[in-house]
Amino acid sequence: MGSKDVLVIGGGIAGIQAAFDLAEMGVAAYLLERKPSIGGVMAQLDKTFPTNDCAI
Amino acid sequence: MLDAGRHPNIKILAYSEVQGLEGKAGDFTVQYLKKARYIKEEVCTACGACAEKCPIKADNDFEMGLKKRKAIYIYFPQGIPAVYTIDPEHCPMILKGKCGLCAKLCQAGAIDYEQKDEKKTLHVGAVIVATGVTQFDPSVVTEYGYGRIKNVITGLEYERLISASGPTKGHLYRPSDEKLAKRVAYIQCVGSRSLKYKDYCSSVCCMYAIKDAMLAREHDEEAESYIFYSDFRVMGKRYQQYRLRGAEDYGIKYIRGRVAEIIEDAEGNPVLWYEDTRTRQVKSLTVDMVVLCSAAVPSKGVEQLAEVLGIELTPNRFVKTDPFHPTDTTVPGIFVCGFCQNPKDIAESVSQASGAASRAAGLLGITSSGKRTVA
Repeated sequence: MGSKDVLVIGGGIAGIQAAFDLAEMGVAAYLLERKPSIGGVMAQLDKTFPTNDCAI
Repeated sequence: MLDAGRHPNIKILAYSEVQGLEGKAGDFTVQYLKKARYIKEEVCTACGACAEKCPIKADNDFEMGLKKRKAIYIYFPQGIPAVYTIDPEHCPMILKGKCGLCAKLCQAGAIDYEQKDEKKTLHVGAVIVATGVTQFDPSVVTEYGYGRIKNVITGLEYERLISASGPTKGHLYRPSDEKLAKRVAYIQCVGSRSLKYKDYCSSVCCMYAIKDAMLAREHDEEAESYIFYSDFRVMGKRYQQYRLRGAEDYGIKYIRGRVAEIIEDAEGNPVLWYEDTRTRQVKSLTVDMVVLCSAAVPSKGVEQLAEVLGIELTPNRFVKTDPFHPTDTTVPGIFVCGFCQNPKDIAESVSQASGAASRAAGLLGITSSGKRTVA
């Protein structure tokens, strides 16, 4: 039996966006992260270029 | 991040690692290990009473070791899921059955010292690899003194220093004497674009150094910034204008030339020796602090994951793709996005993530939930 679910490995900005897009399409997305919480390197950044908006 | 945390179609499996994969596109079985937090996730209210009284301190990874955390900790305050975790390498209760203070303090009854790692299985049709990036350890570039000269730090350490929620609450207190750093030099291409270390361009350093310097000036109008570069690589949308704005509005000084050596003076100030390739002169510059924009490299553990998944990597440990299918790995049904595929910034990572999600959806025959037909 096949599955229509998707596993995303890595809960940084790329993984979050991929999981989110799939979820919006109605797909069940598993977002797996090695660290205790998602966020990745982007969560460690203060602001981001080129708008200097907050990263979180 | 918050939207993903709340989405009914996303299940977050944090503190977990993939251990095995079988099957083929459309029909994969994945084994993963859910590591023991020693906390009942559904019970913890993240009140923090445990960590407040926990007597054990350990390095805080999220704060790049610039701050300590307790043996029971939350990875970062806004983290999702918002639950505490016990670090088994430091907790005396886990190590030798002595202490137990947090269990006494936890009013919710969320502490479970007996919790074990759990092996779990998932059944999925597609996999997307997005394992991200970390910073190359610049201590091997010995001429720059990282690890030896206290006021030489990395770009990621700077991010935590300048962050209002970071260890110094956003003040640029330099490591040696906690004096406010007014003059800061940023060095590009540390370990990257180098035949000795990493032969590729990390692609984000030019822009983040400009951002770092802008933030320094926003925090302190007396801040002086010097960016040492080989050539500027600012190719995204409106990036060139950002660079110009850095000089015009924030007074950033761009110096073309690779720094040869950093030494430390008697007050702990880094002294940079370099050739200014515009004036063809060898010069020195004394600053309060140096930020090394060291190479961005794929996250640790990517080799083991690639082996488990059966996907190929490039010699620099990026996930192998071909130029016309930048989100397809060498295994059908396994896609890739973000920095682990090739160096890229947030805007490109997000865009590639949407590409990978579409490829996965296409494989599984899923169209957008808003159904449309062509007449």
